[in-house]
Amino acid sequence: MQTTLDAYDTPAPPHLRDHPKHWRNRRAGHHWRNHDEEFDAAKFGMWLFLTTEVLLFAGIFCGYAVFRFLYPESWTAGSQHLDWWFGGANTIILLISSWTVANAVRCAQLNNQKWLKINLIVTLLCAAAFVIIKLQWEYIPKINEGKAPGTFFSYEFAQTTHEQLWWSLYYMGTGIHALHVLIGGSLLGWVLYRSWKYEAYGPTEYTMVENSALYWHLVDLVWIFLFPLLYLIH
Amino acid sequence: MSHAAHANNAHEDLGWNPEDPHGINPHAHHGHIVVGWKLQLSVLLALIFLTVLTVGFYNAEQWAETAFGITLPGWVNIVGAMTIATIKATLVCMYFMQLRYDKALNTFALLFCLFAVGLFLFFSIIDLSTRGWVTEFKQGEIVAGGTGVGLDSPPIDASFNARVSPRITTAGVSIATYRRNQEMQSWLEARPDKEEKDFWKYFYAKAYKPSRHPGDEQNYFSQLGFDRDPDALSTPNRSVPRYGRTDALDPNPSSD
Repeated sequence: MQTTLDAYDTPAPPHLRDHPKHWRNRRAGHHWRNHDEEFDAAKFGMWLFLTTEVLLFAGIFCGYAVFRFLYPESWTAGSQHLDWWFGGANTIILLISSWTVANAVRCAQLNNQKWLKINLIVTLLCAAAFVIIKLQWEYIPKINEGKAPGTFFSYEFAQTTHEQLWWSLYYMGTGIHALHVLIGGSLLGWVLYRSWKYEAYGPTEYTMVENSALYWHLVDLVWIFLFPLLYLIH
Repeated sequence: MSHAAHANNAHEDLGWNPEDPHGINPHAHHGHIVVGWKLQLSVLLALIFLTVLTVGFYNAEQWAETAFGITLPGWVNIVGAMTIATIKATLVCMYFMQLRYDKALNTFALLFCLFAVGLFLFFSIIDLSTRGWVTEFKQGEIVAGGTGVGLDSPPIDASFNARVSPRITTAGVSIATYRRNQEMQSWLEARPDKEEKDFWKYFYAKAYKPSRHPGDEQNYFSQLGFDRDPDALSTPNRSVPRYGRTDALDPNPSSD
């Protein structure tokens, strides 16, 4: 299997050759024996953080299970108001963005600076498309109809008594997920900026690319479960 | 010293250098695995295929109900969708997040977290699913789907300057019911010639539009929006087929 030792040996452009932020000029922190240990520790730290993220969303999934158990007919009626076309389109968009960000890691590992940037740009475009679909065709029309969470619920034609609970769960789940899309997009935007300006990431220096990508994959993972729970299960 | 020089050295000693047994040399670099693009593309295609599959499964279920009147039990829908989601999540974790090529410690961290999530869900569900035993034991009243009695908040403090909905007290009914009653009142006030019966006609045509049972699409009364109209229900002299659920909010349940 290919490793980072097979990276392209393209030299740094002249103006970045001695720049302290260029990936070739980066060294491990002085308290680490080498780059590898620093990388492994940072990645394990990221995984520990991701487990706390999973537990955060587990609270929402558990709330979903509990209220579905208590008020099944409200959950059925609520999911009828969602259109699987938009949820499905957003699923495909997030899957593609997950793939491009995995490719961005690969390009950083192989010192392919051009495609690193292209992959990151495509990922950011996908993030923007996700948020636009969510706002334009889901949140804004629904809130205008009064399908709002909890006490703000003012939809006149609710079929069941607990539909406001469904909408609370819907907005909490998808809203916290959308917040993660924005945070992940900002992290990847920062990576793009640094690789554009300094070629900051390469085979021996891609921790930030890898960890931001892990965060982005988590965003994708959560949506993989939110989509069927909200749109398909009735 | 250029990067290429480190790379060549690392190639020769295959990750362990007898002259530097503890890897103290800060330039030692052993090379990380790079996942091939063909593998990543295949994983993406598999993920998209599974997404199409789960949506197809959902639509096939609806079609079976419409065309043949076959209603699968609810767990088939849940188990099918969640199994496909789990397979997709496993693919993302193994190949996109590279757990398959990582140190096992990262996988252990994730699995332990999932174990904790499992405990969380398990104890919540066994609590809820066995409350009936306690209620039965105590001979309490059981109302299917709950009583629907919702919110009776204390009045909001005047200095609380957020934009608060004026409907903060719902007089002992659920918010959804309260809002519907409010709508009925204003609807009737605007139409002095109409009565409550007319409101229900209007209400059911609106409320059941997104969730009308597919079987009702063939029904003449449904097409006119009368499928939930108490006047259009079956009588000894006229049989009107009705499909779907019996709803908690049916204003006239005895007529069913």
